[in-house]
Amino acid sequence: HSALSLKVLAECPVTKARACEMILPHATVNTPVFMPVGTQGSMKGLVPDQLRDLDCRLILGNTYHLGHRPGPELLEKAGGLHSFMQWDRALLTDSGGFQMVSLLDLAEITEEGVKFKSPHDGSMMLLTPEHSIGIQNAIGADIIMQLDDVVSSTVTGPRVEEAMHRTIRWLDRCLAVHKRPHDQNIFPIVQGGLDEDLRRQCARELVKRDVPGFAIGGLSGGEEKQHFWRMVTVSTDELPNNKPRYLMGVGFAVDLVVCVALGCDMFDCVFPTRTARFGCALVSTGQINLKNKTFAKDFQPIDKDCPCSTCQTYTRAYLHTVVTFETVACTLLTVHNIAYQLRLMRSMHESIIAGQFPEFVQTFFKDMFPKKNYPDWAVDALSSVNITLL
Amino acid sequence: MKFSVEKIVHGGCRLGLLHEVGKLQSVTVETPLCLLHTKAGSAPNLSMDTLGYIQNLPPIALMPLNLLAEHHETLEEYKKGIADFTAMKDFLICCSLQDPCTAVPSGYNDKTSVALWGRAGKMKVDPELFVKIQEAFQPDWFQCLGDSDTNKDSSKKRSKKAVDNTLNFLDEILKRRKSSEILQQSSVFGSIEGGFNQFERERSAKETAARGVDGFAIEGFQSDGQEFRQFHEKEFTDILGLTLKHLPEDKPRMMLGVWRPDSVLQAVSAGIDIFDSSYAYSVSEKGRALVFDFDYHKKHWESITDDDGSENSKNATTTGRGFSVDLKDSRYKDDFSPVLKGCGCYTCKTYTRAYLNHLLTTSELQSGVLLMVHNLHHYFGFFEAIRQSLREDKFQQLQQLIDGHSRSPSADR
Ligand SMILES: [Zn+2]
Ligand SMILES: [Zn+2]
Repeated sequence: HSALSLKVLAECPVTKARACEMILPHATVNTPVFMPVGTQGSMKGLVPDQLRDLDCRLILGNTYHLGHRPGPELLEKAGGLHSFMQWDRALLTDSGGFQMVSLLDLAEITEEGVKFKSPHDGSMMLLTPEHSIGIQNAIGADIIMQLDDVVSSTVTGPRVEEAMHRTIRWLDRCLAVHKRPHDQNIFPIVQGGLDEDLRRQCARELVKRDVPGFAIGGLSGGEEKQHFWRMVTVSTDELPNNKPRYLMGVGFAVDLVVCVALGCDMFDCVFPTRTARFGCALVSTGQINLKNKTFAKDFQPIDKDCPCSTCQTYTRAYLHTVVTFETVACTLLTVHNIAYQLRLMRSMHESIIAGQFPEFVQTFFKDMFPKKNYPDWAVDALSSVNITLL
Repeated sequence: MKFSVEKIVHGGCRLGLLHEVGKLQSVTVETPLCLLHTKAGSAPNLSMDTLGYIQNLPPIALMPLNLLAEHHETLEEYKKGIADFTAMKDFLICCSLQDPCTAVPSGYNDKTSVALWGRAGKMKVDPELFVKIQEAFQPDWFQCLGDSDTNKDSSKKRSKKAVDNTLNFLDEILKRRKSSEILQQSSVFGSIEGGFNQFERERSAKETAARGVDGFAIEGFQSDGQEFRQFHEKEFTDILGLTLKHLPEDKPRMMLGVWRPDSVLQAVSAGIDIFDSSYAYSVSEKGRALVFDFDYHKKHWESITDDDGSENSKNATTTGRGFSVDLKDSRYKDDFSPVLKGCGCYTCKTYTRAYLNHLLTTSELQSGVLLMVHNLHHYFGFFEAIRQSLREDKFQQLQQLIDGHSRSPSADR
C-alpha cells in the first residue's frame, strides 16, 4: 500500500552501486538520480517545460520557504505545489528543520520541536514534527521527509547521541500524523553524526518501521571527507536493498560518483544551480567560470558533447558577454548545469546496467583529474568497494 | 531596403510595407512595426527556448550598440556577424545606437565622437570606429552615429551643435560605407536631431533627407530611458510634425523608446512607422502585466473584466483600469485566474496570478520570464491591432478604446 515501488534493475557485482526504477505517484524515476533544488516553487528562471526537455523527473522544494510563502493554506487552495507551479512530475520536500538550523541564528531544539525567531516579524515560532508533516501534506510532494534533530556534522559528544534518539522519537510522531500515506512517501533520516556505532544503531531502529525509503542526513556539512564517506557506507550497509537510499545535500560530481559506488540512489544539492548564478559551468574536468577573459573569444559551446539547449545554441564567447550582467545568462547556465548533473546520473545508471560501472568510475576520475592527483578520501572510499583508480 | 506606404489613414497614419531588408530579402514586414528589443543580444530574461514560446514575434530584433560595442574585437574575429553570435539568426538585426530604456549620461559627446555606455563603462566612438564595429556586426540595418544629448532644456547653441555633429558623422560614415564591401547589404538610418529647436529640427530633417539614407531615426527628444509621454505637450507635437514634413514619404521613420500604448497611437497618427518593445520590458521590470484592451471589434461592454477578474456589469467601460496591473499586489495572492483572461500566451495558458504573485514576492527569476512572455505577446498583439485597424479604417475605434485606459486614474502606473 505504499505510494512508492522500487525495482532493482541491476546491481554492480564489484561495488555497492545499483540501478533501479522507482515508481512514484507523479513519475517513474531511474536511479541513481540527482534532484535539482527549486527552493520556492520555481527552478531559477527555468519553466517546467525546460526541465521536462532535460528529462528531469524529480525536483526538490524547501518546506521552510514554501511554508512561509505562499504558505500551506494557499497551497491547499491551489491544489498542492504540483498544480501551483505547473510541475506534473515528481516532487520531494525536506522537513524544514535543516533550513532553520542552517539559516537562522536563534534556532533552539527542544523535545517539542525546533524553536526559532521568525526572520519576518521577530516572533518566536515552533516547528514540531506534526507541523512539518502538516505543511508537507499541504504541499503534496511525492516524497516527504521526517523532521529530524539536526546537529552540525562537526559537533561531537553526547549531543550527537541525543539527536539520534530524538530523531527516532520524532519519526514516530511524524508517522502518527501523516495524513496521506497513500500518495505521499515519508522517509526517515539516519542520523548519528560521525560515530559509526550511532549511525548503525539509528539505521537499525529506523528499519523496524514500515517506511517506503530512507535518507542519510547530517553529512556534507564541512566534516572531513574521510569521515563523510565512512558514515555513508556504514549507513548503506544497514539499509535494506529493496528501498531507496537518499543521501541529503550531496551534489559535487566526484561525491556523486563515489557515493553511488557506496550504494546511494538519490541526491540533491543547490550547488549546480547556485554556481550558475556566478557564471560557473560544470564540465567533465570540473568547472569553468565564463566570466574569465580566456573565454572572450572562445567560440566553442560549453561542452561540445552536451545535448542541452544552451550548448546547442550558444558559444562560450557569447555567454562571456552576458554572464553576471543579464539574467538570461543565469538561466542558460542553469539549464546546462542541470543537464550535466542529469547526464552524469544517467551514465551511471546505464553503466551499472551494462555491468561497466567500475570502468565508468575509472574513466570519470581520469577525466576529472588528468594529472591523477586523486583525493585520498576518494581513493580510499573506492578501494573499500574494490575499485582501484588507474 | 525598400519601403512603400500602402495607405494613409485618418490624417497621417501610415500603413506601410518594408521589404528587401538585409539577409532575409524575401520577407515583407508591415508597419507600424514594433521591433523586438534586446539587451546584449537577448530579449531581456529570455533564452532562445523561452523566446520561442511567443507566437507573434516580429522578424526583426533591435540591438542597441552601446551594450555590445565593447565586444567588437570578438565579433571581428568571429566573422559571422552579431545575429549569428547572439543566436538570433532567425531575425533581421536593426542596430540602434543607444538602448531605449537605459538613461544615457549627458555631457560626453563631442565634435568627433559619441559616447556609448556599456558594461565596461564609456566608449568613445568616432565614424571610423563606428564603421569598423558595423563591419564586424554585419547588421541588416543600422542607425548612424548621432548626437542625441538634447532635451527640452537644451540651448539653441547645443541643439545646433547636435545637428552639425550628426550631419558630419553621417557624411563620414556614408563615405566610408561606400568603400566597405561588407556593409553594402546593410541599410542606413540617419539620425534626426535638434532637441526642441524648430529651426534646427527642420534643418536636420532636410539635410539628412538630402543625403539619400534608407530611413530615419527620430532622436534627441529624451534620453532618460523613462516612459515616453510627451504627446500632451503642444511644443513636442508641433516640432515633430514639422520635422516629419521634411522627410520623404517613401522612407520609414523609426522612433525608439519606452512607449505607452496611447503614445504609440499618437506617434502613429503623427506618421511614425517603427517602434520597439522596450515598454513591455519596462512594465515587466515593475512586476506588472499588461491588461489593456485593444480588441476594437467587440463592443466595450461585452466582456470586459475588471482588475480583480470579476465580470463587470453591462454599462462598464474600460476607463476603470490603466494599461497594466501590479501582480505584486496582495490582492492577487489567492487569485487563481490567468494573468489576463482570454490571452493566448504561454504564461496565461499555463499559470495563475497567484503563482506570479508568489514568484514576484519571492524575487524568483521565473517571474521575469513569465511576465516578459505575456507582456511581449500583448504588446506585439497591440501592434497587430493597430495595423488591422488601419487596414479596416477603424483606427478611431482603437484610439477610443486606448484613450479609455489612459483616462483611468491608474493609467500612470
Ligand atoms: Zn550543455
Ligand atoms: Zn498572456
